[in-house]
Amino acid sequence: MQLVTCPTCGAEVAFRSSALPVRVCDYCRTLVVRYNQGAQGMGEAGVLPFDISPIQIGTEGRCFDQNFQIIGRVRWAWDDGAWNEWLMLLADGSHAWLGEAMGQFMALREVELTGSLAQVIRRLMNDTPVKPGESGNIAGQSYEVADIRTVCCIGCEGELPFTAPIGWEALSVDFRNRDGRCASFQKDRHGPSLYVGHHVNLASLQPRNLRPLPGWSLPAYG
Amino acid sequence: MAEEDSVRALSCPACGGTIALRAAGYTVTLACEYCGTLIDATDPAARIITRYNEMQASLAIPLGTRGTLRGVEWEAIGWLQRSDGWAIWDEYLLFNPYVGYRWLIAQNGQWSLGTMLTAAPQRDGPDRVVAGRRFTPFYSVTTARVTRVAGEFYWRVKPGEEVRASDYVRPGFMLSLEQDDRENSWTISELLTGREIRAAFDVDPPPVWIPGMTPLAHQPSPYARRIKGWWPIAALSFVALLVLLTLFGRTMQPQMFSLSVTPDGPTVSQTFGPIVLPLGKQAMTVEAMTPGVEQGWVDIDVAFVNRKTQDSYDAYALNEHYSGRDSDGYWSEGARSQTLKVASLPAGTYDLVVDAQAHHWGSSGNWTFDASSSTYKTEGQPPIEVNLTVARGARFTSNFWLAVLMILLPPLFMLVLHILFENARLAQKDGSPADADDWLRGMEAP
Repeated sequence: MQLVTCPTCGAEVAFRSSALPVRVCDYCRTLVVRYNQGAQGMGEAGVLPFDISPIQIGTEGRCFDQNFQIIGRVRWAWDDGAWNEWLMLLADGSHAWLGEAMGQFMALREVELTGSLAQVIRRLMNDTPVKPGESGNIAGQSYEVADIRTVCCIGCEGELPFTAPIGWEALSVDFRNRDGRCASFQKDRHGPSLYVGHHVNLASLQPRNLRPLPGWSLPAYG
Repeated sequence: MAEEDSVRALSCPACGGTIALRAAGYTVTLACEYCGTLIDATDPAARIITRYNEMQASLAIPLGTRGTLRGVEWEAIGWLQRSDGWAIWDEYLLFNPYVGYRWLIAQNGQWSLGTMLTAAPQRDGPDRVVAGRRFTPFYSVTTARVTRVAGEFYWRVKPGEEVRASDYVRPGFMLSLEQDDRENSWTISELLTGREIRAAFDVDPPPVWIPGMTPLAHQPSPYARRIKGWWPIAALSFVALLVLLTLFGRTMQPQMFSLSVTPDGPTVSQTFGPIVLPLGKQAMTVEAMTPGVEQGWVDIDVAFVNRKTQDSYDAYALNEHYSGRDSDGYWSEGARSQTLKVASLPAGTYDLVVDAQAHHWGSSGNWTFDASSSTYKTEGQPPIEVNLTVARGARFTSNFWLAVLMILLPPLFMLVLHILFENARLAQKDGSPADADDWLRGMEAP
């Protein structure tokens, strides 16, 4: 853990992951970016609207055969809805994303966009339109396009691998296959990125420290 | 502070009423429970989308109702009504923050629980396979249109919104694909039993199907199950029937009598007895054998005559036998023995009165003209022995088959209802007409 001082309000900002450059100050919501040992303010992160997600920063569990802890979140919105991308810090120090949309969860890890790519991915990279139901191979598995959306960042909290300013726009395409694997392609002005993983439910994550929600009983897992 | 409670309060911009936002963060569209106005929940100012001035008090499950279904507590947070131009159905959105969303779909009083799939169903010919379960196509692409809406949803639902839907079925389950330009989503809905849905949400019980009603595409025939349930009962009844037949169908205390008749001679009348019948009611078997009859027939009338009441119980046998030789070789026909059954003789002492007359038919032998009857009669034929074996008890084969029919009648009746049900169900199928495969799958258990 590394402690830096928020350049805006002077509060102590803790970085749990040694690899992540960005942290939202819990007090003044400044996006704090660290360079070596120092820190710099990079604008303000949006105040997250109230939601009743069962996940919170500090939720722990198991995913990708490792223990994880939730250390950050980006909230994305599209025309007709919104979802959360929770950042998992895995036991080996790497990180992965837990996407939460419509009560369903996707555990995703970034893969490199190199080598022989499926035609559908190459078309997405070239901004050629694709349609739901189109299929293609990603990392040796056959997937089909589940949804395509233009999304916009509406807020973030905790630690992040990138700055996530409000209004940051991206194209987001979700893929699924027949065994519950999934993939997600994102493209913004910085370039494309690809994430691969699988659908999970809360119980399979063996979660601890879920967010208590008044009026709902917390399920006992495992 | 909103964070302290799972429910956030909003003021309806149309009527000022305080409305609860139950799935904050997920919910995009909220309909005011007082005035029905649709509100945009993503806008902090709670913008009005459309005014919807119809009260939704008539919902089978009032929004905000909680119920436990399959061990999970759900809250009904949204309701919408959809139509494909032909059928109209209701969909309730259930929410639990730790489990996610489910749909409760109500059509024709039947309730199904819908779960959105995260894995794409596998294609196999025209069928789709999900986790080893095969679904056959039923409705090809139809347009489902939202007609009415109330409550909260995780997308911006509005009346008039359309999706293209295709449905696949197996008994008790429907697999639906909903498509628009941005998204393909698969849902499996499972038909709930009346007991399950009532225990969870206290709705009216689903109606029992009667001929003339339209079943749901994935409604399993209630008669398929009953027919299957009948087989153990039928098997037991059949075994019981066989046991009864062996116990009570035996013949007892045989008595033998015999007499002889001359072919074309006079009728021989003879009385045998006594035959004592001790039981209240019994059946009698008389086996009449004429081993010597050849090229002729013997008429045998038997009557059990009660010595006390002179009541008579009659039976008749015709024994005959012919044989010869033609271009195909030797031939023979007729039966030299008959088994007669007389039912329900009261207890008492009886005489067996037998009238027998034999006739000869054929070209061989000596013939004389009998002037009294104006017929030719044979002469010199040997007398024919008539042996009668009388015994108590009888096996009535007809009774046996009647009992078998009674055992089979209920399943046959249910089979007719099953066929009517499946016919009404499969009549709604799109694409290729229902084939033998569809009918066979209709018999499968859910």
